[in-house]
Amino acid sequence: MADPKVETDPTIVDRWLQDQQQWQRTLLAYVDSMTKNEDFLVHLGNAMRGSLLAGKAYPAPPAPGAPAPEAPVDDRLDRVLHAVHQLQGQMQDVLMALEELRGTRTQPVPPVEASPTSTLGEPPAGPPAGPAAAAPKTRKRKVGP
Amino acid sequence: MNRSGEEGELDREIEALLALSERSRAKLDRLHEVLTTSGHYGTGASPAVVVYQENKLRLLRLVDAAGKPHAGPPVLFVPAPVSRYFIVDLLPGRSFAGHVAAAGFDVFIADFGTPAQEDRFNDLAYYVDGLVRRCVRKVSLLTGAPRVNLVGYCLGGTLSLLYTALYPSSVERLVLLTTMVDGDVEGGVAWVAHRMGLAGESYDNPRLVPAAEVKSWFEMLAPGSNSQLGRVQDLWDRLDDPAARLRDVRTMATWVDDVVPAPGRLLAELYLQFGPGRNRLVAGTATVAGRVIDCAAVTMPVLAVSAEKDLITPPDSADAIRAIVPHAEVMRLPGGHVGIVAGRSAAALWDRTVEFLAGARG
Repeated sequence: MADPKVETDPTIVDRWLQDQQQWQRTLLAYVDSMTKNEDFLVHLGNAMRGSLLAGKAYPAPPAPGAPAPEAPVDDRLDRVLHAVHQLQGQMQDVLMALEELRGTRTQPVPPVEASPTSTLGEPPAGPPAGPAAAAPKTRKRKVGP
Repeated sequence: MNRSGEEGELDREIEALLALSERSRAKLDRLHEVLTTSGHYGTGASPAVVVYQENKLRLLRLVDAAGKPHAGPPVLFVPAPVSRYFIVDLLPGRSFAGHVAAAGFDVFIADFGTPAQEDRFNDLAYYVDGLVRRCVRKVSLLTGAPRVNLVGYCLGGTLSLLYTALYPSSVERLVLLTTMVDGDVEGGVAWVAHRMGLAGESYDNPRLVPAAEVKSWFEMLAPGSNSQLGRVQDLWDRLDDPAARLRDVRTMATWVDDVVPAPGRLLAELYLQFGPGRNRLVAGTATVAGRVIDCAAVTMPVLAVSAEKDLITPPDSADAIRAIVPHAEVMRLPGGHVGIVAGRSAAALWDRTVEFLAGARG
């Protein structure tokens, strides 16, 4: 009678069966992640494009022959928003100028760096002379061939 | 061949198939492990607080474990606004900004964020005379330092150089990393567009250039990466690496593949001023907000670093800083555009940068 403690090498058929079972486990792990984790699908899709990018989908290339996206026809709202952002920057300059004034009332005033476009915060009341001396303003086209 | 010989041959074939099956499954198991591991993808590695916000920009200040800013002279990192900021703060132990902070500097990083449709009107002045200038001003306010060290990477280096030429008295030392200076040196994105005869972006009627399109330009510079089949094969080969290494690769991919849309007006202006045949920086005719950029004003110490295998900024173009800032220390490192900043051999750059900045301490 054979000793049950003696282990014999699995036959090639046994190993094939084991391999199939392990493949099932691997595939189940993928299916499980797909159903439990929405991000996993995105990440898997990225991997299928050759990228390990996480957190968002790999940027989809434009379809062959597709026209490049153009600027929207009605850009009024975007121009207004852009102007608001520029105003926000100017406000920040004002606030920083006030902060500098508060912080340097007791300190000696350093030399002022001249800036042809300065308005806000000029002359600067304290350090830094450079960045405080600039002026955000509405600009027209400056470049071109 | 007799029967036993045939069986032996068949066994060997099955063995080979089983081995191949096992290897493939191991790769897929490793991929699953990597894809299901959470990380800090899409954010910086070092603890930081937001000290200033404007439009999509966030100014980050690195803090220690107790949440306090690092002591030391201020350093402001200016990454390229067409990619994510965390290339300078990639992973714990692989963070350029973290390395500089650990060396005794109060480190700030400008995160320009992701532009929206209205930001397509942003031009060079918006960045240089607006966002960068106010970041420097804020850093000065917070630290009390009249001058700030600037470290600009790629297009962020261009912004830093232009800013420094306009406001030299606010800059202590300037570090330019893989920053294109001479637009007539062949190579880089602008040359690809030039060679392909692309019309370029419109200044007057700009569009928000989609991230995928920006990415396709970079891919054109890197042979192999513009083929999906090539990328998949590359990833499949990499799946033999340990999971820890793959997570590392994943973080790098999360930077490389996470390109942001680009403001068309900024691209148009960059091309018109610094592109092939224009080259206004070297010619001394570049302007920002109507002011001529005079690099003679850049008298503080300058360190300019180029990368030997840089496909995005040709090293000769970066080294041309000598022509406009003759006292600049020019250094060329082995590696590529990203590798010298965040790769496994990036320590050479980090250490040299710290040494250079330490000169500011007197």
